[in-house]
Amino acid sequence: MAHCLAVFSSLNQVALLKRALYREGVYVEMLRTPQRFSAIGCSFAVRCQCTELPLLREACLKWKIEPGGIFEDLEEIASVQDRPLVDDEWEQ
Amino acid sequence: MIYLDNAATSWPKPPAVVRAVRDALTNAAGNPGRTSHHLAMNAAALIQECRENLAQLFGIANPLRVCFTANTTEALNVAIKGVLVPGDHVICSSMEHNSVWRPMTALQEHGVEVSIAEADACGVVDAAKVERLLRRDTKLIAVLHASNVNGAIQPIAEIGRLSREHGIPFLVDAAQSAGVLPIDVEAMCIDLLAFPGHKGLLGPQGTGGLYVSERVDLRPLKEGGTGSDSNSPHQPVYYPDRLESGTLNLPGISGLNEAVRYVLRKTVAQIAHREGVLTQKLLAGLGEIEGVTVYGPPAGLLRAPVVSFTIGDMDPVMIASELERRADIACRPGWHCAGLAHRTQGTQRTGTVRLSPGPFTKVAEIEAALGVVAKLARET
Repeated sequence: MAHCLAVFSSLNQVALLKRALYREGVYVEMLRTPQRFSAIGCSFAVRCQCTELPLLREACLKWKIEPGGIFEDLEEIASVQDRPLVDDEWEQ
Repeated sequence: MIYLDNAATSWPKPPAVVRAVRDALTNAAGNPGRTSHHLAMNAAALIQECRENLAQLFGIANPLRVCFTANTTEALNVAIKGVLVPGDHVICSSMEHNSVWRPMTALQEHGVEVSIAEADACGVVDAAKVERLLRRDTKLIAVLHASNVNGAIQPIAEIGRLSREHGIPFLVDAAQSAGVLPIDVEAMCIDLLAFPGHKGLLGPQGTGGLYVSERVDLRPLKEGGTGSDSNSPHQPVYYPDRLESGTLNLPGISGLNEAVRYVLRKTVAQIAHREGVLTQKLLAGLGEIEGVTVYGPPAGLLRAPVVSFTIGDMDPVMIASELERRADIACRPGWHCAGLAHRTQGTQRTGTVRLSPGPFTKVAEIEAALGVVAKLARET
């Protein structure tokens, strides 16, 4: 399935968008922008299915967040999965 | 212990707050904005959740306008020094804490003019007095919401409307009101709201924040690493990055997030009601003890849960010491970092003893404190 990558200046912006879209029932990934998509040094991105791009654009407008760029139909961006974090040893 | 020092910092904290601090250190203590491993991303999500909860609590439309600071003092300094430049004029009240009075005094030495709106005998500032001090070069109005010395509540909404009518940014020091009294930045026309995390919001020490409305842009007090636009030598122009250089206090913010969730669940209205009942009981009891002088608004009037008193000429430090020795009562004597406010209410020579109940204070604890004060008053 083709994915899109929306690049933003700040992780704060990405975190807001992720939570806002989640409330709409859309799951997107937050990731560090691969260097070739980032013209401004450190930045973060939202990775989503291309079909979800209109919702992402809508959220950007609502929250007045301007993407640094949107790259469509990417196959090779590695997925960053959220996963459980608790290490049982630390629970002792 | 009978803890009546909630105006300094609230105690105890809800157990969920303690767990959240621990959980953050265990499971989410990456450095948000620096990388994308899961600890860092979880940290970013947690911080964003806290911004959203604070935004909900204060009626803030855009959570990205909530910037974290170490405390209210830092937030106030960021706001005051971020707005004012030499040649500007600023208005504050005569009840301000040193966290406003001192930065303003420092700025006076750099060409900023400061006008002080005098409070009445109860510690309340009339909005009309603020209006009379307005000038064409007034660039900021800064007023504390509730006095940390005597609990007096300022007419924030009225002063806010006045500020908005004149297009002047309005800064509110919510050190004693956040989580204690209802605050709605839109309804109250607040442009800058400085608040602590560790007092009425029941979070850990080392947390606080500043809301910056879209009508105001601040010069950052500090520049540095934000994890954004790293190749640029300039500080980001967007919020909260503009004001959040350096690693944030993630364990503290995790605790604050849980604390704000607790306050939202209980509701500020319920907390205010409970603390109001305790405060009025305290005021009524102190009012009946011969030799005790109580400061601030009289019993029956709305006030923050802060009560200041003296017993004759007895040193407030000795009163506090006796309260602790006889009944393990924790309170605060002295000037409460608010020399200007003490000058206003006429206690600049002696200071006062301050009792400040919190949401977990019991009626029996108020009665116990009143009993010890009554004994002390009889003995003097």
